Amino acid sequence: MTTNQTRHRRWALPLAGFGALVVLSGCAKDAPQDTWQPAGDNARKIDNLQQPVFMIAGLVLVIVAAVVGYCVFKFRDKGQAIPQQSHGKPALEIALTIIPALILVGIGIPTVNTLFKLAKTSDTQCVVNVTGQQWWWEYDYPVQDGCGGISAPIVTSGQLVIPAGQKVLLRISSRDVIHSYWIPKLNGKRDAVPGRVQTLRLQADQPGIYAGQCTEFCGLSHAYMRMEAVSLDAAGFKSWVENQLAPYEAPAAGSTASQGEALFVSQCSRCHQVNGILGADGTPVISRPDKYVYSGAVPNLTNLMTRTTFAGAAYDLMTQDCKTALWNTPSAQFSAKYLEGVSPECLDTVQLRQWLRNAPAKKPMYADPAKLVETGGKYRGMPNLGLTEDQIDKLISYLTERK
Amino acid sequence: MAISERPSVPALAGNGGSAYVTPSSSMGVFRRPVSTTGWRSWVFTVDHKKLGIMYGVVAMTFFVIGGCEALLIRLQLAAPNNKVLSAGAYNQMFTMHATTMVFLFVMPMAAAFANYLVPLQIGARDVAFPRLNAFGFWCFLFGGIFLNTSWFLGGASDSGWFAYAPNTSVAFSPSHGVDFWALGLQITGIASLTGAINLIVTVLNMRAPGMSLMKMPIFTWMILVVQFLLLFAIPVITVALFLLSFQRNFGAAFFSVEKGADPLLWQHLFWIFGHPEVYILVLPAFGIVSEVLPVFSKKPLFGYKFVVFSGAAIGFLGWGVWAHHMFASGLGPVSVAVFSVATMAIALPTGVKIVNWTMTLWGGKLSFTTAMLFATGLIIEFTIGGLSGVTHAVSPSDTQQTDTYYIVAHFHYVLFGGAVFGLFAGFYYWWPKVFGKLLNERLGKWNFWLMVIGMNLTFGPMHILGLQGQPRRMQVWTDFRAGEGFFNLAFWNRVASVGSFVLALGILFFLINVLYTAKKAEIAPLDPWDARSLEWMTTSPPKEHNFDAIPHVHELDEFFHRKYEEDEATGEIRQIATYEDIMAEEMAHADKHFHMPSPSYWPIILALGLPIVAYGIIFQRILAVGGAVVILLAMFGWSLEPSVADESDYEPPTDGGTTKELATLG
Repeated sequence: MTTNQTRHRRWALPLAGFGALVVLSGCAKDAPQDTWQPAGDNARKIDNLQQPVFMIAGLVLVIVAAVVGYCVFKFRDKGQAIPQQSHGKPALEIALTIIPALILVGIGIPTVNTLFKLAKTSDTQCVVNVTGQQWWWEYDYPVQDGCGGISAPIVTSGQLVIPAGQKVLLRISSRDVIHSYWIPKLNGKRDAVPGRVQTLRLQADQPGIYAGQCTEFCGLSHAYMRMEAVSLDAAGFKSWVENQLAPYEAPAAGSTASQGEALFVSQCSRCHQVNGILGADGTPVISRPDKYVYSGAVPNLTNLMTRTTFAGAAYDLMTQDCKTALWNTPSAQFSAKYLEGVSPECLDTVQLRQWLRNAPAKKPMYADPAKLVETGGKYRGMPNLGLTEDQIDKLISYLTERK
Repeated sequence: MAISERPSVPALAGNGGSAYVTPSSSMGVFRRPVSTTGWRSWVFTVDHKKLGIMYGVVAMTFFVIGGCEALLIRLQLAAPNNKVLSAGAYNQMFTMHATTMVFLFVMPMAAAFANYLVPLQIGARDVAFPRLNAFGFWCFLFGGIFLNTSWFLGGASDSGWFAYAPNTSVAFSPSHGVDFWALGLQITGIASLTGAINLIVTVLNMRAPGMSLMKMPIFTWMILVVQFLLLFAIPVITVALFLLSFQRNFGAAFFSVEKGADPLLWQHLFWIFGHPEVYILVLPAFGIVSEVLPVFSKKPLFGYKFVVFSGAAIGFLGWGVWAHHMFASGLGPVSVAVFSVATMAIALPTGVKIVNWTMTLWGGKLSFTTAMLFATGLIIEFTIGGLSGVTHAVSPSDTQQTDTYYIVAHFHYVLFGGAVFGLFAGFYYWWPKVFGKLLNERLGKWNFWLMVIGMNLTFGPMHILGLQGQPRRMQVWTDFRAGEGFFNLAFWNRVASVGSFVLALGILFFLINVLYTAKKAEIAPLDPWDARSLEWMTTSPPKEHNFDAIPHVHELDEFFHRKYEEDEATGEIRQIATYEDIMAEEMAHADKHFHMPSPSYWPIILALGLPIVAYGIIFQRILAVGGAVVILLAMFGWSLEPSVADESDYEPPTDGGTTKELATLG
């Protein structure tokens, strides 16, 4: 065996290994918040802009590293004479300033171009108001002809549902501190600033579910403020809207769920709204989160089981297997699958139970009265209600009917 | 100026050796202290070199503290839904990690280098305002301690080092952490501001004869640029912190949205300070490597003028890019476009520096000491950080990258690969100047390679984490959103955590090296690196008065040109003098009188009043009044203090130190 062959073999294995890794990684699923896999027009505009920039940056790094590396080996002190004390070559300096300047002009022009395209709001077809507060997002669909027509306001949380293919305009704001709305596969992020309404375009090519995360540090539970954007085909979105606006169905009298309803009215409805729920005296129960919660809002639970997560999309209402299956459903079948909601065989109440037992132990929140002096005793997050196991059972059986 | 005539002492009197003055027994409030030995000689000193060393020691201590905070963060993120730190503790940890590293390590460490070296590099005997210099150091120390006592008094700030309003309001951050943070940084800010004024005046007025600005060592140039940045940036953050303190403690409504405030006000104030701050952190390191690379390449810095002007250009452009931290804040496309283009423009002067360092290596005679390794490492690591910076100058891409780990990767390549590598190059290069002994090169190599491997293992994977969508400042990440395959978050988070411990091990080697070097007896030669600039034209460590005779400067790299000359016919460089010759020559022309400032009690007393006021604001207002009284008395004492200790305070000069001095020279 010649030394040359040995050298070839020495490289062969790592090279093959690296090649295999690249091929394998091509097959494996990247993280759901991968910023390099756009699933909609806006994110694709960004990706088309950034990919060449990454390549140029990589190339410049290789050149700099190669020149420095060459110097390190070539000009190492091997006893050579002290070099001439040259103070530089202005022509070279100027050339090496002009070349990067030209590269930057080449990057700058498409940057500005894309920037203005992404800021356009005039051609959007559908509007959703998105409001952040510690530590969840509220989605409020105003009455509009867009989105295939919405006849009455819809207020939901946890999952943003949008019609696939439509240019959706999010009007983003906040009720307390600054948050940031980010669904990486659909667009870059936009801060939710209290006192301001800012816009973000969102468009998903295909039905599917897309992960996101609050990306402006917003206090104690920032890491637990997640979001999921769900896009449905036109028919699917229409039936989602219809379901959201369907009249309230009270549980059968005498059932556990019915006892749960009474408990909900006494324990939960001060803050949480279920549209159409009636009190013992037959009048509609209107929640007053502004009286009890510092941000003035809490999630509307009317259709809790149509979404698959709760508590700021931090916890699941379905088993991990069902969740994985939903996320992996091909786009052609996705809308139908999603509209099933949390089916009985998928229902997993473990996390919901823990939540009802002691919410601040599950998700860090300010529920300790000693820390609420400055908020006038108003909670930041859900307190521990001190429910008994029996009460929790009843509430769960009521809540699981909210579809 | 506080520099005045002191009773004459022999030219060869030593520094730190046996004392040539001792305190007399007379008492009086407004007398100046005169100790030159013992703890008093440090606590009451106004000597820029002693203050430089104290800055360095304290900053290094905070570096270790900030590093431990970083390790805890990486432990928490090593596994999904980990429980090493609670959400509250995690938020405090990343806030204090950043605050400590920025305000209590990199800035004061740069101040340590600047304090020690700038007067030496320009051939001066001290800074322009020595008592102010001491006052600055004590403000930094007391401010830093004050900030860190918050850990034990109800919790540290949990709002991030950027402290975006309105999350810093009392309702959202009910502990006293933010108060400690805002007040502590106002105190340390005084150190930066007084330091800036002092060094600007020193550099502009006290250069040795013949040293025109364009013959000034490049490190001093970069420090000068940084001092101007500090002079204009520190007031901005001080105003912001002042408003925040009033918001929290006196019911002001500067950031109360419900009363009509715009929370973006804070962001603008913070980043108008915050972006120049980046250059405040990194330009001193650029200055250091611009000294180190030429010495170990045996060539002058390539394109000295370009490096000077690009440094100044960064200093100017640095003011016009702050809103690139706010591309997702909703400024509107026109502002974003302007700041996007401005940010790309600042890549040019930065690129100029990388080109010039590389060209300094080109055709040189390179010896890879540890200092040189760190300097060369900086070129590559900083280039990586600079290039990832260009990717988010592209504002639409930045809306994907901002507040993710990609940004964490970026600024750690800039600040660790840039600033910290530069500081370490400086430690190895100037250690023999400051302490008279060479750091061990073998331990140094371990130090360097572990740090390079550790930093790339820690911060390299963060590029992947960020592009895979992992946001910053999150106490937990979940398995479900980690993905599979080569780029999965779980694997790379673990790599980053392992890397952080490798990095810590590298830094441990440095600390071991310091102890090892302190123990060994071997004294370094006076010009161990065949250096080029004035600070090497005196003893190591330098005497209190720095130079026996103020050198006259004729060239950039004066010291080198006194040792070597170029043969006009052949271009060959030949040695014409040894450093012993040059120093003997200087000593022969030693000045008869040295204009040295006397120590003072007042800087430390004045500085001590500040944290008392701050504690008072937080806990008990009457205490603040007490602190204010201390400050007033100290100002009074300071103003009435004689500019120099009375002659009767000194004993007649002895011949102490002379023998030692000569031994050092040999």
